[in-house]
Amino acid sequence: MTVLELMERVGIREETLAIAYIKDAIHLIQSNTKEKIDIHKQDIINAHDSNDNVYILPRDLIAIENVSILDTTASKYRRIKRLTDQPHYVVEDTSP
Amino acid sequence: MSSYVDKDYFYYLRGRELLLYKLLGSRNQDRITQSGVLQQYDNELVYPDEDIANGLRVEYTRVSEPFVSESLETTLAYSSGTNISFGGTAITSTTGNFWTTTSGFEVGDKIRIKGSSSNDGDFTISTFSGTNDVNMVVNENIITETSGQRIIIQQIPKEVSSPDSTSHINLNKMLSLAVVDYCKAMISDQRGEIDKKEYYMKEFFGKLADNESNKRIISVASPINAFAIK
Repeated sequence: MTVLELMERVGIREETLAIAYIKDAIHLIQSNTKEKIDIHKQDIINAHDSNDNVYILPRDLIAIENVSILDTTASKYRRIKRLTDQPHYVVEDTSP
Repeated sequence: MSSYVDKDYFYYLRGRELLLYKLLGSRNQDRITQSGVLQQYDNELVYPDEDIANGLRVEYTRVSEPFVSESLETTLAYSSGTNISFGGTAITSTTGNFWTTTSGFEVGDKIRIKGSSSNDGDFTISTFSGTNDVNMVVNENIITETSGQRIIIQQIPKEVSSPDSTSHINLNKMLSLAVVDYCKAMISDQRGEIDKKEYYMKEFFGKLADNESNKRIISVASPINAFAIK
């Protein structure tokens, strides 16, 4: 369906407004269903300080379908589980 | 070398960030010396203690290519064969008119190649050449490859980055009709006609549900004879 056809069906004349509404509708569709899935990959780094386990999610993310980690021995990505609560920090006793 | 990652790794979502943790257990006995060692009852979690290139993979939805140059219903060109070879910028078939008449490709189409050793990816057709158009020339460079493997070439939607009234919505017919309902709902909202807005939003979500159920080959039958228990 073209943008013009949609404008005629809806009865609006402003093309820019119609395009904005279409983008909003696709946003809502992607939020409720999985019409089109994208994949984002990042390197995992060996952590050395307190922020090294923090990875930034894709900026255009609407909904997460799943998260997986590369199993290099099998060359396959395997899904990992989500923690519902953030673990509490403890101070390591470096001189027990 | 990472292994048993599905048992060792966990993630936690914090706003726009994903926090990655690894279980300190039988296979991971080296506690890392950092302030971020964590304790959760008998299971101790640590930060990842290894480098893994492209190790974290997130599948997600986004507003991706909302407008295309051709409707999805007519994006149908397809070819498959073991007599397809690659060289320079040309994809060559030994069969005459294979790309145009048999498969339905046209100049300007965006295509996706699968099954090749080195040329899997997306390309755009620039022209056809050779006797009986045996060469399909693309804009991008491709790696030389001999025929033999089963290769699939399929037309995919071509994005329109600056959409106008002639652009197509990158959705199938059912979801495009759902978008029509959404637009009607927004216009009703602007006019303060809340009852109409509610009606059109219900229609919108109804079509979303129809679109999902159309993909599932499930039917539900309920007994309707005189002895049926409901």
